Amino acid sequence: MSNRVGIDVGGTYTDAVFIHNGRIQHTAKVPTRSSDLVETIMDAFDTLKISDEQTISQITVSTTLVTNAILQNRLPPVELLLFSGNGMSVDALPWPVQYRELSGEMDFRGREVEQPDQREWEKLKSPDLLENSANVAIVGKFSHRNCLHEEQLASYLKQLNPALKIALGHEWGQANFYRRSLTTYLNLGVSDLYRQFAQQLQTAVSARKIKAPISILKADGGILPLAKIRPIDSIYSGPAASILAALTQNETTSSSIVVDIGGTTTDMGLILSGAPLFSAKGAQIGPFSTLVRTLAVRSIPVGGDSVIRATDQGFSLETYRLGPAYCLGGSVPTPTDAMRYLGLITYGDEQLAEEGLASLLPSERRTAQYLHELATAVIDTMVDRIAEAVSSLKREWQEEPAYKVWEVLHPHESQAFQTLVSGGAARGITTALGKRLKTPVQLGAFSEVSNALGAAMARPTFACTLHLDTYMKQYRVEETGEQGKWTGSLRPYLEVEEFLDTLVEQQADRLEIKLQGVQKEPFDFFPIVQGSRTVGQIVRGAVHLQPGVIGRVLV
Amino acid sequence: MKRTGILFFPAFDWSLGDSHPEREERLIYTQEQLFEEGILDLPQIKQFSPRIASIQEVLRAQALFPNLESHTGSLDAHLIAAGSAISLGEARVRGEIANGFVLARPPGHHSGATVWGNRGFCTLNNEAILVNHLRTHLGIKKIAIVDTDVHHGDGSQDIFYHDPNVLFISIHQDGRTLYPGTGFINEKGGPNAWGQTLNIPLPPGTGDEGYHYVLENWVLPRLQEFAPDLIINSAGQDNHFTDPLASMNITAGGYGRITELLQPDLAVLEGGYSIEGALPYVNLAILLALAGEDYHHVREPQKLERPVLSVAALKPYIQDLKKQYQTIKPTFKVQSKAFFPKGNWIYSPRSVYYDTEGFQETRHDHIRQCTHCAGTVYIESQRSASPQKAILVRIPFQACPECEQAGYDLWDHLLHHSEDATSGLLQNQLRDKVAVWQKKEGLTQF
Repeated sequence: MSNRVGIDVGGTYTDAVFIHNGRIQHTAKVPTRSSDLVETIMDAFDTLKISDEQTISQITVSTTLVTNAILQNRLPPVELLLFSGNGMSVDALPWPVQYRELSGEMDFRGREVEQPDQREWEKLKSPDLLENSANVAIVGKFSHRNCLHEEQLASYLKQLNPALKIALGHEWGQANFYRRSLTTYLNLGVSDLYRQFAQQLQTAVSARKIKAPISILKADGGILPLAKIRPIDSIYSGPAASILAALTQNETTSSSIVVDIGGTTTDMGLILSGAPLFSAKGAQIGPFSTLVRTLAVRSIPVGGDSVIRATDQGFSLETYRLGPAYCLGGSVPTPTDAMRYLGLITYGDEQLAEEGLASLLPSERRTAQYLHELATAVIDTMVDRIAEAVSSLKREWQEEPAYKVWEVLHPHESQAFQTLVSGGAARGITTALGKRLKTPVQLGAFSEVSNALGAAMARPTFACTLHLDTYMKQYRVEETGEQGKWTGSLRPYLEVEEFLDTLVEQQADRLEIKLQGVQKEPFDFFPIVQGSRTVGQIVRGAVHLQPGVIGRVLV
Repeated sequence: MKRTGILFFPAFDWSLGDSHPEREERLIYTQEQLFEEGILDLPQIKQFSPRIASIQEVLRAQALFPNLESHTGSLDAHLIAAGSAISLGEARVRGEIANGFVLARPPGHHSGATVWGNRGFCTLNNEAILVNHLRTHLGIKKIAIVDTDVHHGDGSQDIFYHDPNVLFISIHQDGRTLYPGTGFINEKGGPNAWGQTLNIPLPPGTGDEGYHYVLENWVLPRLQEFAPDLIINSAGQDNHFTDPLASMNITAGGYGRITELLQPDLAVLEGGYSIEGALPYVNLAILLALAGEDYHHVREPQKLERPVLSVAALKPYIQDLKKQYQTIKPTFKVQSKAFFPKGNWIYSPRSVYYDTEGFQETRHDHIRQCTHCAGTVYIESQRSASPQKAILVRIPFQACPECEQAGYDLWDHLLHHSEDATSGLLQNQLRDKVAVWQKKEGLTQF
């Protein structure tokens, strides 16, 4: 028996669904009050009017809390301290925040090249740092191979001021010092805000005597328990939710272009043989490049409520919204009015739609023929922009780097795609979009609440990537930054499989998730040779639980 | 800001043997270094994905002897490295990037016009395959290859020795002290391309300053004089002072400066087997220099402690070498075979050692002396202790009608009077046609 609730906090509206055994029972839509997201979420929840709340087995929330805090520049100050070492100049890359460079260097095997300089640390004793609970992010180049310097500085600072909130870069264990620094910075910067949100939400749910666990949707399309997720991972969960919603309606092996048309933005993603496409790089949020694992998505500023403005050449489709469509009582014409005029959608006032469109034409041209041409051109423009973003996504897929012979010899097959459209204005562009993309187009079920549906049906994602250097006798885990001593053999074989299995179990227990259907990647073994003697191995291996849904939704 | 392309193909699942220098581990630390620096996040850097070269693309530059089948089992990684060079080269010529770095394994510059197997870790010549592709399909006419690997680029030299439209310059540690034992000042080009090959053997111990002196005072002026459409740098990294196979004293920063001086349109990785001490830093410095970024903070942890040859000591040596180069006279021997079409045919025999598998190739090269074009080439090639004898006939790019006809006549003779030859390749660069002939299977056209 499964009773799942999904809630998606959008820019304008917050949607919710209640699903009982794969069948949608209730849906709800309430306006988003960005000043109080917990209240908004509970409002949507209450609007579902679930009769027996105690039987709910899972609540999943997709929220813009962290995304908005970052994009609206609402982060508290974070002191960023870098062990930047030699190599590329740090300032070759665009840093959206201040940082301070300290001496101390590691190399790619995690060997210390230069010790930190304690005298530099003394100079850090500014009033800022000695003050109550300043945020300090410490990140070293190659700290994902050896976190010694980060930990040394952390304990030095803790002694000075135990109230400091310190985050260490190696906990983001992938290569990329620049992104690791910014990710550590952001995650620390949003952590207070997130903790507060999580507490309030848990309190509100518990107050209703609901024992169901609450999960948060992540950018990679997976969920984690409210108290376990790293806050920064919750960015961009909206587009991920649209892709999950598509998965609930597709054959499990089909390939789709997913298009979710909102009022102001349209989100797109790709599903390849049932698996959502990942971005090869981490998420970009505002000026911040991060290591946040994310689905490959495109968001473009065009939607059903985008403003259409008259120009000398005809019209231009703007990237902003000024309230609802003209036919729904708004003040400016929008693509929704074009759809209404052409009879592609049935909501909104037909007369007003015509009036709105007519206002874009010179008075002598306000005839049925010109209006029809205009409305068609508006929709074509919208579809063109969507199609452009879709081809950029497809390029990202086809141009994925490959580092092994096997990968080049076994390229992704080009597949027969279908397109799945959801969102308020979806119905209005299905035909035009199908023609333009040259694929069959299907209208998503429960199109108006598809993100909430995607959230409700989401399951956990998980990854554990091992990097083992048997010569240095060190292992590291990318996802958690765990670093430890390897006591096994120099050339492990079965031993390393068991070792990884144990790590996976421990990590899953810590995250309080159950692992079903994990995929093991084949291990890569790199013999380490000195002179002509093999003295050890670097072993890379990984276990993944890819994003997916718990089942198909019954329509 | 320059737009710089990178094609990183480390072939992590391929090696020439467990503890062979050309093994999986070779670029893993380079990957760690480049990725950790965030080099792919530099706004001017664009990453490209590898592709596999076609057999036709290969045969346009090199003959695979005795036949294709004898190579196909071991060619995949080489085809991808060659295809990667083509991908990035095309992007450069189309103007998508201002320059680029093909950071791919395996290397190729020891692989010559005729290929019986792997030598000096190379089976296919990535640069040569790229060069002939660009000339065939992208309208490029004049190309300079500057080989800065510590070993003489004997394969590239062999392929373009008779080609007046390719300037080949190799700067390397003196062949009397290092593999492959060639690359002397008197190897100056074939009869139709005299002076289009320049070998600058340097004494062991040469360091940054000396190397830069040679570039500034000899290589750059020669490049300027040739005025190529494109400069390709065969960027071997074994001049680094930590290299286990050679004895030069170049630093990572020194490599950055080499790149800055040469301003190549494309750098293509060749050798370099100090995979921890040098490669991560040298690759980073080259890439930064290409991208117009500061490379002076790239510092290898190990210090250069060996004595470095001073510029003052190197200068007289270089001046003497230059004088030899200028005064040396060609000594070409005219020798025809009975069935050769009319013309002056220059004959030069040579022998090529394949160190990876340990066998010898014996070659008899003939080139038609011509004042109008690069001249048709006829090569007889035989592998030691093998009864098989293979023939390469090459009609060059922009061949004159007489040389073109000479090529057809020679090919025709092979097909009808093969005598002891067992296979052959017609490389018709003029008409972009490639034909493979085998005594048993007959003719295959590409």
